[in-house]
Amino acid sequence: MTWETVIGLEVHVQLDTRSKMFCGCRTTFGDPPNTNVCPVCLGLPGALPVPNAEAVRIGARAAMALGCMVHPRSVFARKNYFYPDLPKGYQISQFDQPLATGGRLTFESPDRGKIDVGITRLHLEEDAGKLIHDRYPGKTAVDLNRAGIPLAEIVSEPDLRSPAEARAYLGVLRQILVYARASECSMEQGSLRVDANISIRRAGDARLGTKAEVKNLNSFANVERALEAEHTRQIALIESGQRVQQVTLLFNAGTGRVKPLRSKEESHDYRYFPDPDLPPLVLSSTWVEEQRAALPEMPEARRGRLERAFALSAYDARVLTSESVLADYFEAVVSAGVEPKVAANWLMGDVMATFNESGGFPVSAAALAQLVALVRDGVVSHQAAKRIYTELVRSPREEPKTVAERLGLVQVSDQNALAGWVDEVIAAHPGEVSRFRDGEGKLMAFFVGQVMKRSKGKADPKGVQPVLAERLRQ
Amino acid sequence: MTAAADAARVTGERLAAADAAGLNAALHWSQRLLDAEAARVDERGAGGALASMPIAIKDNIVTAEQPTTCASRILEGYTSPFTATAVDRLRGAGAMIAAKTNLDEFAMGSSTEHSAYGRVRHPLDADRVPGGSSGGSAALVAAGVVPAALGSETGGSVRQPASFCGVVGVKPSYGRVSRYGLVAFGSSLDCISVLGRTVDDATKVLSAMSGADPLDATTLDRPPMPMPVARADLRGLRVGLPREYFPADLHPGVSAAMQRTREAILDLGADVCDVSLPHTPYAVPTYYIVAPAEAAANLARFDGVRYGPRKVGPGGDIRALYQATRGEGFGAEVRRRILVGTYVLSAGYYDAYYRKAQRVRALIADDFRRAFALGVDLLLTPTTPTPAFRAGEKTDDPVAMYLADIFVCAVSLAGLPALSLPVGRSEGLPVGAQIIAPFFEEELMLSAAAAIERTVPATAEAR
Amino acid sequence: MSIGREEVRHVARLAELAVREDELDRLVEQLNRIVDYVAQLDQVPADATSEPFLPGPHSVALREDTPAPVPLRHPPADFAPEFVDGFFLVPRHGAMEEE
Repeated sequence: MTWETVIGLEVHVQLDTRSKMFCGCRTTFGDPPNTNVCPVCLGLPGALPVPNAEAVRIGARAAMALGCMVHPRSVFARKNYFYPDLPKGYQISQFDQPLATGGRLTFESPDRGKIDVGITRLHLEEDAGKLIHDRYPGKTAVDLNRAGIPLAEIVSEPDLRSPAEARAYLGVLRQILVYARASECSMEQGSLRVDANISIRRAGDARLGTKAEVKNLNSFANVERALEAEHTRQIALIESGQRVQQVTLLFNAGTGRVKPLRSKEESHDYRYFPDPDLPPLVLSSTWVEEQRAALPEMPEARRGRLERAFALSAYDARVLTSESVLADYFEAVVSAGVEPKVAANWLMGDVMATFNESGGFPVSAAALAQLVALVRDGVVSHQAAKRIYTELVRSPREEPKTVAERLGLVQVSDQNALAGWVDEVIAAHPGEVSRFRDGEGKLMAFFVGQVMKRSKGKADPKGVQPVLAERLRQ
Repeated sequence: MTAAADAARVTGERLAAADAAGLNAALHWSQRLLDAEAARVDERGAGGALASMPIAIKDNIVTAEQPTTCASRILEGYTSPFTATAVDRLRGAGAMIAAKTNLDEFAMGSSTEHSAYGRVRHPLDADRVPGGSSGGSAALVAAGVVPAALGSETGGSVRQPASFCGVVGVKPSYGRVSRYGLVAFGSSLDCISVLGRTVDDATKVLSAMSGADPLDATTLDRPPMPMPVARADLRGLRVGLPREYFPADLHPGVSAAMQRTREAILDLGADVCDVSLPHTPYAVPTYYIVAPAEAAANLARFDGVRYGPRKVGPGGDIRALYQATRGEGFGAEVRRRILVGTYVLSAGYYDAYYRKAQRVRALIADDFRRAFALGVDLLLTPTTPTPAFRAGEKTDDPVAMYLADIFVCAVSLAGLPALSLPVGRSEGLPVGAQIIAPFFEEELMLSAAAAIERTVPATAEAR
Repeated sequence: MSIGREEVRHVARLAELAVREDELDRLVEQLNRIVDYVAQLDQVPADATSEPFLPGPHSVALREDTPAPVPLRHPPADFAPEFVDGFFLVPRHGAMEEE
């Protein structure tokens, strides 16, 4: 029996704003508990929500980046349920009139080549607080710093057909959201969270099977693992003659298993209704077009442009555009005068390593350009430049030239100095000299190496060889 | 002694006397806080439109100095860490906060009998109710303790007690006064409103607290209401009498007082005409779907997690905490409305109740729009079908209690401004006339009311 | 009678309100009285396409993204039933998760 897996994802991303969705509290991550709170996000009696213009702007930008239609009128609604992390007893979200609908994401599936995944909707909502269960015996601690942080919920159509495909979708979605400057999408800080709906059906069946919802997926790898686990569980159930129940499951990353969370039907009766505290969100077509015009270049377009403008290979262009900040840095280095291919090599080597480690670019594009110029002008060797780069990462305010001098890495090309080292080497290796003179030409590399060693790497290798050749001929 | 200090002393004496008389209208006040208010007024100097005016505040409007309980056990001992915009503005105009007043718990009621802290007595007859839910504010103004008080309206909770107590009650247009700091009941209906000894007192208070508030997204972006230009008569105005508000079985005392008011209006030079608001009979049922639905969500925040007294029931888990805190903290009427509100929003019932009620609400608002579009400037109706009823008379039948609001509900649903003006007495009990104006036409409404106030003897028996 | 005891229990659970067994019958009766009363809206022909009534502004005014919280005049510790090390504490909510 072949089974087809059907997956749809609900992704919650934090929108990068300075203040919360409905109040003026800061969105800083990692502050002491319950310090970024006010009457509104504490749900105090008498407090009222006022929406953040920037959250709306960013949400609309994200929606357009995903090809959605941004609606001229959308409505905030209350989603009612009780939970200790939800101060008002309802979450302000959007329900039957969301900000945007009808988008599409095109990407390379690991299984099926290029595919289209429909984006059902993107809506705005507020985050809940954070619960800590293991600090106080018998108690759950509530921190509401995160309560009210703006989120976009992005719901896909059930167009994904394997856990690996779901993971690939998330990678592309994340890249687009970062490009659109909508969200940092940091899973560590909880600014991107995923719920997955999964069902299975016989291959060729048009009807969807009963779906289960898997929550608490805190990394892309775990999305794939959890979906694999649930996919296996559902097949085992059906093949043993049982039925899949509509349940909410929690993934345990430690055990790699899923377990049911809630099954009572009333848990799902959210009693949505339009929030009477918030008139409709009305966006003029002029405003929408302004946002569209301000939309940064998306990854696909940028890849193409880099390929064409800088004659890069498709591979190099793909790597350089994997993160928008990487591509920004690349373009800055090139405009600081570095030849594109050389810049690409630097970025895909040492710069990428630093970026993966620190998440940033401690060496400015200008400094990197200066360093590359030192190599080009023969002031330092390529090897020395790599050492200087490492030093600059540690001490980014220094000039590359200063570092080269401080570390004694400036190459010597002065003929007299070179001749001195060459003469010393010839004097120290009479055997090799006579073998060279007898025709063993490959010993030249040995002599160059010896000169470099004696000069402690300072000799300019390009200058050494002619001097050696001249002296060995004598 | 400064004027403010003197006002603080006199107000303290009057509050003490009202307490001694068993009015039970003030929930929180102290001479110390009154003196502090006076000191603040003096420190601020510069007079102001409400200079040294003592104003009582309904206890569902938060202030950082006094407790705010909403007359509920669930907020016993709670003091808000912020102050309502309306109160800040009154203080900014020189007013001083006199007391926090008793109400039906969370403003749900029409008699101020549903208070966790005991019922409020009618100032003229202790066996009767002062109306509600702003019964404490109405009683304090009627008893002459303060010249004005803030109440709140969701479905008539200021006009109805104003009518019962023989004072002026003004409900502004929805969005005219900030709700920031008003503990929400039915958010699409709630309006901070004023009770005043006279139209002028109420007008000054309304003017001082009106205007857009960046903290309330439902306020309209309009400047504060200016003080209306006084008018000597009502010449050039057309006043409509909606026939649905004058049923054949209207209480004879109310009917007589309305007849006298009608004649006074004619004497003042206005035209009077008959109009129809055909969806009026549906106002109360519509209200009792919309308001409880919104209330059920608004009152979810009282969960014993962040504030208020906490109770934990059997099992000791979070659910036990919620259910015991809420089950024991809310009184019977509040619990009934939360259950009704939850029911009408729950799966399978939303369309039949909530969605339907929203549509009927639009029809009710259209009735008014049409009447005003046909050239009527103001509408005149009785505020209540009867004068103040006896305590205990309607507590067993929730629907009978709801019908006490039959003439005030529709205006709330339509978001319009309206006021109740005392226009006489029936067997010693005050009768109020309601004047309804188009959206944001408070100035016209108040200037007309002031003219009628001058001619109709408010405390004379109507026959 | 349109609402039964089970329905009242269900709604009370949704609203997280403890309802005692001995008050249930009276509640059932009162809720039916209310719901039967409001059900008269069935008689009103209402246009299904009409826009819902909005009492206030027709579009929401947005707030600039400037951190400016309304300050708390009293800290949470002053009004919270249980507040330790900056956290609100509640009974361990595991029970809610496992059911």
